[in-house]
Amino acid sequence: MDAIIRVEHLSKTFTTKERKKGQKRKKTVNALRDVNLEVLDGENFGLLGPNGAGKTTLIKCLTTLLLPTSGAAFVNGYSVLDDEDSVRASLGCMLMGDRGLYWKLTGRENLDYFGALYHVPRPERKKRIEYLIDLLKLGDFSDRTVETYSSGQRMIVAFAKSLVNDAPILFLDEPTVTMDVPTARELRRIVKDLNDHGKTILYTTHLMHEAEELCDRVAIIDHGEIIALGTPRELKDSLGHEDVVSLEGIFPDATVSRLRAVPGVLEVAVSAEDDGRSKLDVMVENSRAMLPRIIEAVTGQGSTVEEIRPKEITLEDVFVAKTGRTLAVDTRVVGEKAVRGRGG
Amino acid sequence: MAGETVSRGFGLGRPGPRASAGVVWSVFRARLKIITRYKGAVFLESIIPVIFAGLPILLGAAVAGGEQNAANNFFAYTGTTGRTAADFRLYMLMGSNTFMVVTLMLWLIGYWVRREQETGTLEALYLTPAKRFHVLAGVTSYTFIRALIAFLVATVLGALLFNVNPLEGNFLAAVAYLVLGIPALWGISFFFGALVMRIKEANSVIQLLQWVLAFAMGVYFPVTVFPFLLRVVAMGFPPTLMNDAIRSTLLGIASIYGPWYVVLGLMLIAAWLVPLLGYEFFGWTERRVKRDQGVGQF
Repeated sequence: MDAIIRVEHLSKTFTTKERKKGQKRKKTVNALRDVNLEVLDGENFGLLGPNGAGKTTLIKCLTTLLLPTSGAAFVNGYSVLDDEDSVRASLGCMLMGDRGLYWKLTGRENLDYFGALYHVPRPERKKRIEYLIDLLKLGDFSDRTVETYSSGQRMIVAFAKSLVNDAPILFLDEPTVTMDVPTARELRRIVKDLNDHGKTILYTTHLMHEAEELCDRVAIIDHGEIIALGTPRELKDSLGHEDVVSLEGIFPDATVSRLRAVPGVLEVAVSAEDDGRSKLDVMVENSRAMLPRIIEAVTGQGSTVEEIRPKEITLEDVFVAKTGRTLAVDTRVVGEKAVRGRGG
Repeated sequence: MAGETVSRGFGLGRPGPRASAGVVWSVFRARLKIITRYKGAVFLESIIPVIFAGLPILLGAAVAGGEQNAANNFFAYTGTTGRTAADFRLYMLMGSNTFMVVTLMLWLIGYWVRREQETGTLEALYLTPAKRFHVLAGVTSYTFIRALIAFLVATVLGALLFNVNPLEGNFLAAVAYLVLGIPALWGISFFFGALVMRIKEANSVIQLLQWVLAFAMGVYFPVTVFPFLLRVVAMGFPPTLMNDAIRSTLLGIASIYGPWYVVLGLMLIAAWLVPLLGYEFFGWTERRVKRDQGVGQF
């Protein structure tokens, strides 16, 4: 299979202004650093990473919304720098969730409007819209203005919008956010079906089970760099015989450093919740053998352990192993020194 | 689903004139649909210039001790060739109407950019292969129709309320000047839209600009009353030219720019040059924004 998306040494640097002690200072942010990537024709490719990792910047460069600082990228054989219109015509995009719709127009009118902007000829557009309304079960609300929709309904119309030009490549950024479980499941089924019938899909998600269920290959991006790339199986296997022990409860900051000091503990990632609770994912070589020592390290000194369980290796654990952080939306790194390990 | 979903995409290759016209039409139609779903918006905005015209008319009468005195003083002091109280009222009404058209243009295009930024539809537009020129052509066509409707409704309402007859002058020529003046307003709007895209704030900029505009284009007085330097700047400003052309045609008074062919020539130059410069500036700003944070950032 040939590469339908090719990214070569792509970098993007922003200059932002930050205010510190009443003074404005310019700050340079390297949003993408020398990214190299190939997505094969017909592949369902997952792009994973926490907020601010560079996913959106990469997608914006590939969709011509942003100009890269250096490097090159080709979509469907067209350069994002020199042939913007052909790149855009090759893509169907759902990048902003339920944003990007006109609320005073109906769902059908939105589809017709964007169909025209994608130069879909009128007769085909009409047929295409009917087909999408039928496929995505929009019939009950497609003739109401978008302002009357639930957020889930808006998401599904935004998804329909990404399909209106029947492009060979689909960019889907967190498409199931705010959808109820059955609708999200149905959407995943349709995405899989579209992929089975030849569409190339670039899928961004925080939901690891979605990536594992849908994607042929995934790239994990962090601090603007691709830190892991492969099939979900390959990435999980790359952790070797490591296990993960998951703990939930209330833990003082010192717990992380105590855990880190336990021989056999490879990595500790912390995700904090609003109510003072934390979740610790402790990566070890052998969870069965290590469990008593982990319990010993976390108990006492103000800790309250509510749940402790070994769990299967997931893509999230791959990310944790590479970066020392979790992929959760509200990620908080506790004990930077303790959690930063190899590959970070 | 098989087969139907495996196309290589529409619009690859050069879209023909029909597809481009389809973009312009779709944008135009969508804007019209949206505004008609805000009940009474077009009618209500047409009342504003009538109120605006009422202020100087009543103030003039109060200060001069009667409307005819106000008219006499006004025309004598400004060197304008009008005579009657009705001329005075029509002068103010036309100034207010033209001012409404100018601010409407700025609002509609500047606010369009801002609103699309905020709702995420600007980014959605930039994701399509539609040319910026065609999208802007759709938006400007809509603003043209909306401004024309508002101008005509406001003129009819004002004529009834102030008991003036705009048809006594050359009404069709005045409308023709309005139409000819609008491309220059588009040009200014493109500058303005580009500024909004860059600085991401529409309301305060529009508020400030509309009063500067009102002042510079001589809504209530001919700009000949300005000191020399300010007069030169104001006269070089396309809305001033349009305002003067409409008023002089309707009232049958002399233009501050000279004979009709000079006015027409200047308007043709403005109609060609200003949109060109505005469009270039819009494109330049857009490229700058794409190098920085992107068009969707708000």
